[in-house]
Formats: sequence, structure tokens, C-alpha cells
Amino acid sequence: MIVCVAVVGHQNNPLYIQSFTESDDVLKLHHIVHCSLDVVDERVNNPKKSGPTLNETFLGLLYPTENYKVYGYLTNTKVKFILVTTDLDVRDADVRNFFRSFHAAYVDAVSNPFHVPGKKITSKVFAKRVSGIVQTFGLSSAG
Amino acid sequence: MAPAAPKSGDAIFASVDRVNAELFTLTYGAIVRQLLTDLEEVEEVNKQLDQMGYNIGVRLVDEFLAKSNVSRCVEFRETAEVIAKVGFKMFLGVTASVTNWDTEGTTCSLILEDNPLVDFVELPDTCQGLYYCNILSGVVRGALEMVSMKTEVTWLRDMLKGDDVFELQVKLLKQIPEEYPYKDDE
Repeated sequence: MIVCVAVVGHQNNPLYIQSFTESDDVLKLHHIVHCSLDVVDERVNNPKKSGPTLNETFLGLLYPTENYKVYGYLTNTKVKFILVTTDLDVRDADVRNFFRSFHAAYVDAVSNPFHVPGKKITSKVFAKRVSGIVQTFGLSSAG
Repeated sequence: MAPAAPKSGDAIFASVDRVNAELFTLTYGAIVRQLLTDLEEVEEVNKQLDQMGYNIGVRLVDEFLAKSNVSRCVEFRETAEVIAKVGFKMFLGVTASVTNWDTEGTTCSLILEDNPLVDFVELPDTCQGLYYCNILSGVVRGALEMVSMKTEVTWLRDMLKGDDVFELQVKLLKQIPEEYPYKDDE
């Protein structure tokens, strides 16, 4: 179950944050996303020597906390996508696919001439697409 | 030498130089954004886009006639079909359909299901009165004026405002006969 997705700009400013649970610990999720940014910065500044780093760096599992897992993805413009999920067994390939679709939706949203780079993403189409991607993620990894 | 037969829209589209669609879309988006920043009034921007389209249309029609080799249209119905099938295909890469003819045959609607100008675009709440594709209405008006038809072109449906297609209404106001600037010498 994906509980939250977030898009954070290159100055660590939030561009889009959406939670998918009914419970009202939305603030806790925001806090988790915020803390995970530190981990992202750490990974970015000390790149692991093993493994090549691709252009769209999939950062992988940032840190498991309580019952959540946090995954990160970095674009080449230093925009970060954060995914918080409660699933215990999540396949790496699924998360990669998720981020790929998410990246495509993000690119379409910022190509809108009325979108101001650096400001929050207000596109309803983007929100709908993200909900769609989140739902298919849940389905593909279930069972 | 016999004149070449009129080529179909697809054939001409395949033979002209092409540009990347995303570049075209993003350039047009930048133009609209800049107009909004400079003029601030949505109505003014609509007018400017129409004027820009008009200037494009008066020049575009010569290229259109040169490349497509269509024969003279006998009546307005034919003109509308040619614009929809050959004109739009040649310049935008999409075909429009012609519907909603009125009884006199002077008003029709061009329906565009796909419009490369509006890829990725979402109108913000502050610009709800904006006709984003108004340049197209200017182009059609300008082009028809150069072939002696005075028209009024308006948008009936707009996908950016929630409708399912783009509908452009073209109304023929009058046919202007050719006027010579000098009197015939006796």
C-alpha cells in the first residue's frame, strides 16, 4: 500500500505531496518525507563507488522505519521523488517501474506553459495520473 | 503543360520539412505565456493571438495554394472541406472534420479532435476566458480573406475548458469581388 508520494525541488522545496491513506497522520508522513531528504543528500554527496550511476538515479530503499519503507529517485535536474509504502515485500522492479511512470507524468506536468518551475504543481491531470499509477502499483505487487 | 493534380493532405505533409512537435508546442506555449505577462488582460491576449493568426494566414494561403495545387472552389462547402482536410493536415498534421452546416451553406463547424498546440497545457483558474488556440481562428480568417471571402471565425467548444473536442465555427459574411485600383481606360 503506497501511503504517500512526494516531489521535492532541487532546493528541497516541496512541489507536490499527496497521501493516499484515510488516517490523519498526514503530518507524520510529511515528516518522514522531510527526514528522507537528508538521506538523499547523503547519498548524492557520497556516491557509492560500486555500481554505475545512471542519469535518472534510482536511489533505492532510503531507510526502513517502523512500518514504512521509503524509496527515492533523483532526476538529473536534482528533483527528487519520494515514495512511502507500507508493503513489506516490494519488488525492486516494481518500484523502478513506478518511478518511471511517475517521471513521465512529472515531465508532462512541467511542460505546461502555465506551470512556473519552482512553484507547486497544481495540475489536476497530474494528480489524476499519479492516483492511477499508485493504484496499478498496488495491484501489480499484490498476490 | 498540364497542371499537376491536387495532392492530398497526407502526401503534402509527408513532403514538407517538419519540426519536432514538442518544440512547436512549447514555443507556442511560451508565446501565450509572454503575451499574458505583457498584456495581463485575457481579452487583449485573445485579440493579439487573433491578429497574429491573421498575419500568418494572409501569408500562409499562398504557400498552401502553391504546394497543394487545389483547383478553384466552386462553393463555400468545398472551401471548408479543403481547409479541414488539406490545410490542417498540411500545416498541423491533423485532419479536421466539417459538420453543422446551416441551411444557407454559409456557416459550418470544423471539429478538431487532436490539436498539437495544446499538448501538456492546462489553463489556470486565472485565465479561464483565454482562447488558447485563438491563433488558429486568425489564420483561417486571414487565409480566407486573401481569397476574397470575408469570414467570422469563433470557438464554440474548447478542450481546455472541459469540452471533448475543439469546434471552430466559420461563418461566411460575404464574398468580396476583385476590385481593381484603377479605372478601365475607355
